[in-house]
Amino acid sequence: MTANWRIQSAMSLAAGVTATLLGSVAWAAPIPETGYGLPLDASLDGHRIDWLIKVTMGFVVILFVIMCIWMAAAIIKHRDGKHTAEYDHGNARHQIRFAAGLSALIFFVVDGNLWANASIDLNTAFWNFSGAEAKPDAVRIEINSHQWAWDARYGGPDGKFNTKDDVVTLNDIRVPVDTPIILELASADVIHSFYLPNMRIKQDAMPGMINRMWFQATKVGEYDIACAQHCGTNHYKMKGTLTVMSKQDYAKWAAEASANGARVYSEEDTGAHWGWDWKLN
Amino acid sequence: MGTVVELHPRAREEFTSSLGMIVFLASWAMMFAALFFVYGFARSKSLSWPPPGAPSLPVALPALNTAVLLASSATFARGLRELRRGHRSAFTAMVSVTFGLGAVFLGLQLLVFRQVAASGLSLGDGIYGAVFYAFTAFHGLHVAVGLAILLWVLFRSRGAAHGTDRGSLPFSEHNTIAVRVCTMYWHFVDAVWVLMFFTIYVL
Amino acid sequence: MDLQPIHAPPTSFFWKYILSTDHKVIAKQFIWAGLLFLAFGGMLAMAIRWQWAYPGAEVPAVGKLLFPRSGGVITPGTYQSIFTMHGLIMIFFAITPLMIGAFGNYCIPLMIGARDMAFPWLNAMSFWTFVVSQLLILASFGVQLGTAAAGWTTYPPLSTNVGTPGMGQTLVVMAIFVTGMATIMGSVNYVTTVIRFRAPGMTYMRMPLTVWGLWLTAILNVLFVPVLGSAALLLTLDRTFGTQFFIAGAAGGKGDPILFQHLFWIFGHPEVYILILPAWGIVSDMLSFFARKPAYWYKGSVYAMCAVTVLSAVVYGHHMFITGMNPLLGQGFMLLTLIISVPAEVLFLNWLHTIWKGSIKLPSPMLFALGVVFVFGLGGLTGIFLGTISTDLYLHDTMFVVGHFHFTMAAASFLASFSALYFWFPKMFGRTMNESLAKLHFWGSIIGITLVFGGQMVVGYSGQQRRLYDPYQYTFLSHLHGLNKATSFAAFALGLIQLVFVVNFIQSILMGKKAEKNPWKIGTLEWETDSPPAYHNFDVIPTVIRGPHEYSNPEVTKLLGRDWLSQTEVLPEAIEKDAEAAE
Repeated sequence: MTANWRIQSAMSLAAGVTATLLGSVAWAAPIPETGYGLPLDASLDGHRIDWLIKVTMGFVVILFVIMCIWMAAAIIKHRDGKHTAEYDHGNARHQIRFAAGLSALIFFVVDGNLWANASIDLNTAFWNFSGAEAKPDAVRIEINSHQWAWDARYGGPDGKFNTKDDVVTLNDIRVPVDTPIILELASADVIHSFYLPNMRIKQDAMPGMINRMWFQATKVGEYDIACAQHCGTNHYKMKGTLTVMSKQDYAKWAAEASANGARVYSEEDTGAHWGWDWKLN
Repeated sequence: MGTVVELHPRAREEFTSSLGMIVFLASWAMMFAALFFVYGFARSKSLSWPPPGAPSLPVALPALNTAVLLASSATFARGLRELRRGHRSAFTAMVSVTFGLGAVFLGLQLLVFRQVAASGLSLGDGIYGAVFYAFTAFHGLHVAVGLAILLWVLFRSRGAAHGTDRGSLPFSEHNTIAVRVCTMYWHFVDAVWVLMFFTIYVL
Repeated sequence: MDLQPIHAPPTSFFWKYILSTDHKVIAKQFIWAGLLFLAFGGMLAMAIRWQWAYPGAEVPAVGKLLFPRSGGVITPGTYQSIFTMHGLIMIFFAITPLMIGAFGNYCIPLMIGARDMAFPWLNAMSFWTFVVSQLLILASFGVQLGTAAAGWTTYPPLSTNVGTPGMGQTLVVMAIFVTGMATIMGSVNYVTTVIRFRAPGMTYMRMPLTVWGLWLTAILNVLFVPVLGSAALLLTLDRTFGTQFFIAGAAGGKGDPILFQHLFWIFGHPEVYILILPAWGIVSDMLSFFARKPAYWYKGSVYAMCAVTVLSAVVYGHHMFITGMNPLLGQGFMLLTLIISVPAEVLFLNWLHTIWKGSIKLPSPMLFALGVVFVFGLGGLTGIFLGTISTDLYLHDTMFVVGHFHFTMAAASFLASFSALYFWFPKMFGRTMNESLAKLHFWGSIIGITLVFGGQMVVGYSGQQRRLYDPYQYTFLSHLHGLNKATSFAAFALGLIQLVFVVNFIQSILMGKKAEKNPWKIGTLEWETDSPPAYHNFDVIPTVIRGPHEYSNPEVTKLLGRDWLSQTEVLPEAIEKDAEAAE
């Protein structure tokens, strides 16, 4: 019995240690190529999500560790043969008050923190489209997703979509740094999800609907665009590149691309005119 | 909570069967509720209903049909009352009338389908067309199942009422549980129709 | 005329084992049906893990046999069918029959003191309808273009002919509808049986928590499975009759794909509680049984489970935060979702208090129950990240979600099923399982589960989306290959350790030691019957006089020399009064 007991204690310790290790590994800051953790944050507001995740992860780890210690202590202290069990139905008023009160406390601290911060973040940042639209230099892009690629359309100098000066790209989205980028998403066939891990956002592209999202990049560089919603056989290949450029580089690229677009523009090629009037001004 | 009201065993059994049917119908009601949710959701997102270009649905014939189905509910309820009083021939007569009315309902519903199809609405016409055809056909299927049940009730009402195994005995004043459960189903199908009539045809 | 007459047991093989109306036989039928599909779903999981460890490499040993056309390699097309069917099979054809079909059937009548279900024939029909749905699933693998491939959530338009043409997807959607009908039949029975067939004195507040969990699950099933039925029905119409409920976009439809998601999650969120409520009930009972201590704040656990049942119906929107949902609606769903953590915390505190100051025995059912607390702690706590919109913007549709619901729905449900299986095995089969093998099974499973689903969470936290054929195409995921590979090996080990269970289960059925009537010394009603119970369960319907968790009452120990009391035992008045007061 005792040998069995020791093995079991060792095993449970192993399980607990594994979980704790995994938790701390996940929590660690990302070390490119080797580390596991949140990918590089290259956006203005991504730190809000990172902060909320990490703080909540802290709470969660604390609660989980308390739970494990409680269980382990109970099993060790109160195992069979040590003493008789306490005959306690746990329904005395003070016991109920304790259980209900502690539950409420955890709720108000952990969930309350989540609720308050998420609400603030959504209203001031992630879902604050009027703020982004109000910025004069905001860049507007229409994304038409289809199996298995992202078509992007810029309004060009006139700011209107489906006109001669539009810039149209495939799986290649270029944006200026430190500028609000507003995207409108549509889908031609099935549901896709436009996912920018380094900007900490994603949004579904639904057929028959136009969805929107916005972000502001803070670091020049190339980042992955990924599809997060299963969209068929080659879902895993539905990959694009988001290039964050300096404002000057972007202006230069946009002007050239618009001129190129105008050169190959053809009125008859209706398939190429998939853009729509910007919905939200 | 702990007190159990002592009922006659047959009353207790009848209660159990009815409760089972109520639970089942609650479940089935959720199925129709989901369909009505589809209808309401689509309609609330649509700027006009019927959508531009789609014909509006007839009201007169479906109204008549509603009356037919309501009448059939009344006759079936009356049949159950007769059975409880031991009037077995009146019971079978009432169930036969119920069956007839149900059949008329299905016939008229087919006529409505033809009328609507003639006005140019097809099954593939977006949610509007799909809702009309699929939902009324799905309800019609329930009426058809109800008709089969009525036939079974009629079949089980024949013969002399003796023997011990209630499973094979004909329905009589001593054996009404199954009929009662069947009336519940029939009334339910009726009630769903009334809702469908008001949402899909009238509003 | 007795409400529950004693019938003579059937004698012919067919009526005894095939079309039996005996809830105990139907429970065993569900066990076999569930375990077979659990093995099937598990092998599909192994294939997924192989692909993530060695993308595009030939599957060893069985590859050439299973995928001859691609030379033993899992192609992207096959891969999407594999993960789709893994999810569907595990949820609808493995957990549901094991947890609800088997233990719902077995435990409810025995634990409330009934001779059978309220509608035995409906019960038998429920099982055979379920078999039909399983056959549809199997058939879908044999048709042209293969089986379903649109993910277990079968979101249209991908699940319509636009995305997955072919008979396979249609058969699977029909199988979902049919299995839904089977579930409804079973649940109507459970709900009615609990309301009507409780033995005299078995008040609601004296029911074992297992029965509470199963009953609440049955209520949720009754109310929400039909919503899935409607969704499956309309999807079938879209696929076969040319309606356009869910088809939209350039494919030329005027329907609305988001509509399906509403229907699916109106069902889908209650579904996760459908799968976990019986587990909570079982765990609550086991902890009390084997800590030899009354369940702490029994009524609190009951209220918590009821609260979760109600809340589960109004939080489904958190699955759709990034579909372009109205912001106010989204924030409402977020708040409701977070509120669920209150009853969950009450439940956890009750569990922890139950074992505290107990006299804890650790046989296999107790180990599995403690394992449920552990994995559900992990899974439940990580759920709050996903119920919050802003963190969900990043974590949605990543492997973090996959890890989270595997800890809750998969790990917790299966560990609870195994706990129940080890616990009621002596009653069901009249034999005893090998305890050492059972413990080996537990430790292998709990460590494997922690590593596999923990590994999933870590890669998800690093941003990896779910359902990728080859995640390492993405630069931001390429460094995760090593971790994924390690996780895969843990998964293979977890798969292999289940063989211990298979061996133990079959060997014990065939030649296990004959079981006693009440091997665990438990006071609930089923342990007053023989092992296995007679066809009609109870010769005389028992009269219940107390709750299910009367352990270690010092007065009783003094009087009877044992630490447990049956729910029916009559004691001298003095002690009786004490017990009443405690209740």
